[in-house]
Amino acid sequence: MDYFPNMAYLAAGMLFILSLGGLSKQETAQRGNTYGIIGMILAVLTVLVGIEQGDNLDLGKAAPLLAGTILVGFVIGGFLAARVAMTAMPQLVAILHSFVGLAAVFVGLSSYLDPAVPVTGGSHTVHLIEIWLGVAIGAITFTGSVIAWAKLRGSMSGTPLLLPGRHLLNLLVVLVIVGLAVPFIQDTNALHGAGHASAEDLLSSTPFVFLLVMTLLASLLGIHLVMAIGGADMPVVVSMLNSYSGWAAAAAGFMLSNDLLIITGALVGSSGAILSYIMCRAMNRSIWNVIFGGFGTDGGKPASGSGGTLEGQVLETAADEVAAWALGAKEIMIVPGYGMAVARAQHLVNDFTKILRDRGANVRYAIHPVAGRLPGHMNVLLAEAGVPYDIVLEMEEINDDCPKTDLVLVIGANDIVNPGAETDESSPIFGMPVIQVWKSSRVVVFKRGMGVGYAGVANPLFFEDNTHMLFGDAGASVQDIVSALREK
Amino acid sequence: MESPAIRMQKAQDVFDLSPHALFAVACGSTKNGDGVLVKIGIPKETHDGERRVAATPDTVEKLLKLGFEVQIESGAGEAARLPDAGFAAAGATVVESAEEIWSNSELVLKVRPPQPPELEQIQEGTHLISLFFPAQNGHLIEALAGKKCTVLALDQIPRISRAQKMDVLSSMANIAGYRAVIEAANHFGSFFSGQITAAGRTRPAQVMVIGAGVAGLAAIAAARGLGAEVRAFDVRPAVKEQVESLGARFLELDFEEPAETDGGYAKEMSDAFLEAEYALFAEQAKEVDIIITTALIPGKKAPELITKAMVESMKPGSIVVDLAAEQGGNCAYTQPDRAIEVKGVTILGYTDLTCRLATHASQLFATNLVNLLSDMVGEEGYAVDIDDEVVRKSLVVNKGVVSWPPPPEPEKAVPPPPTREVPQKPAPAPVTKPKAAGHGTSNGPGAIWPVLVSVLALLGIGATVDDPQLVHNLTVFVLACFVGWQVVWSVTAALHTPLMSVTNAISGIIVVGGMLQVAVLQGDGGGGLSVSVLLGAAAILVASINIAGGFLVTQRMLKMFRKEGK
Repeated sequence: MDYFPNMAYLAAGMLFILSLGGLSKQETAQRGNTYGIIGMILAVLTVLVGIEQGDNLDLGKAAPLLAGTILVGFVIGGFLAARVAMTAMPQLVAILHSFVGLAAVFVGLSSYLDPAVPVTGGSHTVHLIEIWLGVAIGAITFTGSVIAWAKLRGSMSGTPLLLPGRHLLNLLVVLVIVGLAVPFIQDTNALHGAGHASAEDLLSSTPFVFLLVMTLLASLLGIHLVMAIGGADMPVVVSMLNSYSGWAAAAAGFMLSNDLLIITGALVGSSGAILSYIMCRAMNRSIWNVIFGGFGTDGGKPASGSGGTLEGQVLETAADEVAAWALGAKEIMIVPGYGMAVARAQHLVNDFTKILRDRGANVRYAIHPVAGRLPGHMNVLLAEAGVPYDIVLEMEEINDDCPKTDLVLVIGANDIVNPGAETDESSPIFGMPVIQVWKSSRVVVFKRGMGVGYAGVANPLFFEDNTHMLFGDAGASVQDIVSALREK
Repeated sequence: MESPAIRMQKAQDVFDLSPHALFAVACGSTKNGDGVLVKIGIPKETHDGERRVAATPDTVEKLLKLGFEVQIESGAGEAARLPDAGFAAAGATVVESAEEIWSNSELVLKVRPPQPPELEQIQEGTHLISLFFPAQNGHLIEALAGKKCTVLALDQIPRISRAQKMDVLSSMANIAGYRAVIEAANHFGSFFSGQITAAGRTRPAQVMVIGAGVAGLAAIAAARGLGAEVRAFDVRPAVKEQVESLGARFLELDFEEPAETDGGYAKEMSDAFLEAEYALFAEQAKEVDIIITTALIPGKKAPELITKAMVESMKPGSIVVDLAAEQGGNCAYTQPDRAIEVKGVTILGYTDLTCRLATHASQLFATNLVNLLSDMVGEEGYAVDIDDEVVRKSLVVNKGVVSWPPPPEPEKAVPPPPTREVPQKPAPAPVTKPKAAGHGTSNGPGAIWPVLVSVLALLGIGATVDDPQLVHNLTVFVLACFVGWQVVWSVTAALHTPLMSVTNAISGIIVVGGMLQVAVLQGDGGGGLSVSVLLGAAAILVASINIAGGFLVTQRMLKMFRKEGK
């Protein structure tokens, strides 16, 4: 039975891999989630067995505290999950990242004071480095995610905070964190039983103070890194923090020599890294460009170049006219952006889709990878509104069909349908893949006014001969169109 | 509007020694912006049998709108059934003599290149736009250069899409092709279309068209229109579709050779190809009633495609119309401007086919001219701008300086695009589908150095660290990273948000760490709420929020995804 926990952890790790693998298709996704839940239950039960077996662990004494904290956590988590609006998913994801980071910090500090798993067969130095690293990553993840959460909620402005010499500042903090590690790992005395000491004793222990100072510095670094990133880059930041939270968990796994934590951390870390990469590619920017200076920061000059200076004839249209066009169209494409979610128009758009599909038109959705505030966010919002997922297509799947589309409705999107990204080399978003709506027979753009998108780039699409602007609140506009369709 | 590249190029001309720049310097000012040059003269054509005219009342109106003054020689449009009165009504001044035209006009529009008597009348510095055939008319170039004239040759206008509306050769070829069929029908003793009458039925005429350029296609369309069965041959297989779209059969050889020049014209072919071609024509000659040949190679004598033997093998009463008669003829028997008969086969070598349709020929010709002029007229009026590709290529003499053949394109002088650092190929190229499975490491950032660094780091750790636990942990970690990378690439983009929430949930596994810390038996066996236990409990709390929140919200989201009809 000595190795029961190891095998059980392996089984749980396997279930977690299957859980992620299940998400490859909508049909298997729910099963995947179930695998994840089973894996988690298995893991928790295994820990209890491990505690029972452990030399310096006592299940009986810990049981009330364990049960109590888990229960409270579950209640809070369940409450959050049940209540969250789908438009607020980015915030929820961000705050959950911060919890992983925070847990990693707590576990790191705690295991420094009282190692639950005796350090066997390895050097104390390695163990101390693992603690140092785990706490650092955890702290950055924690504070970074909290800032991201605040920005996504709107309780903090999306404009990037740019301190002078901020790259130097970051570098300096990283160097200090590395530098403080040297005296920390050389002192191996304070490892056992310190957790039982009083607060004064703890604060007089130099290595522990080093650890706390470092935690503070890493926290500041996390804050500073995310403060400097603009609102439009939030999908990348959230993906990146997703990745960090994974690495934090993996670092905790190293600290505790726990295979399951390492496996899970690596899975989550890779997942976040891939999502960040996909997002960057969809904006034709490198990850460094996003982290160290994106739009509206030192790199780009928004609204310069071709931006903002475009002039030309803009064709306006009205809801009745759009309804008439829709009735005459065989192939209709809807390109939603976050603006649709803001206007809470997705349910009305679904009504529109239903009416026209019942009349025989082929209505489909084209989703750009960076539409919304989170990778895949648009898909969730449309699914919530009741749009069947098989008519919701990715940009790459549907782009070739643009020329044979009779009518395109662009709702609350701007930069992702900007033809300048393909043709105008001076455009800040040049090279970003876009949905080629201008190749269709007719485009209707739902917009509040003639403002520019996140990238601050004027959109030549609005001046095309086959583009018609429907100004006003997208929700009200779609409502008018749906009413007009119902009358006909 | 000018592109920045062109503007910059102009600025560079001063220092530039490219042929284009030297050419520009030699010509002096490239713009003729003084706005004086507005008097257009249209003389009556003097060439024998020429019935076309370089203007119609319609185009006169357009020229006036462009800011020109127009005078026309009395009787210029007579042969094309365009009386003086019509021109006068359109706003042109009708003058009596050609001399008046030549002496009073700054820009003369003509159909044919100037004839010797006209050459003498041309004033110094006059601009001339007409068909010119500079390759055959060296003496004309010299004479006009001597008079400091500026000459644009309509036949040299490049075959680019923008210049299609000015392409006189195409307009005229179209007419010639049509008229060739009419001439053939005129000499043909039978119906074109098959007839079923009380007196029995007749078979439709069999027509072969050689060369499916503009003229050939027009001939095919006209012959089809009259009801004949048409087959056509061209050395360029690419025109097959066009031929078939007109309802003709495309004759093919079992032979492959690229046959198209950059300019879209046919080129000369190899001997082996010609042999196969001759065999085909010999065979076809026996079957068909009418052969229309339109094979021309720019600047060269027309190829002989229909030999004497082929003509003699044709049925009596058959017709050959040779549209290449002026360039030497595609048929061995062809005599330019004449209709001859050999063993019952009529060979038509008319070179004036377009003149035989003078009204429409004049209309198309004049319209092409107006299109050219309206492109040349800029903000400062009529100007010869050699930065314009159409003008540069058709300019034969520029203020007395011979500029034919045209200087090469100034490709090297074009400065590099100002935004070099941006990727050259936008959009779809880098976008591979992350949907399909098997998009592993190859889909990631392609640099090799992270791999090398990782390998070296692992080797370094192996060499220096004596810690079996760390080695074990690293093994698990690295392999798990690769597994994660592979698995996550297979996740569909539509489920990226659930992916994030489920990773939130499973990274709540850090609860394990908290649980272990809470259960640590304190050093003195005393338990109680030590700092480390409290920290552990806090970790459990936040990690549990993740577990419950992550899994539940994922479940909630996934339930929303439904297929159509469910």
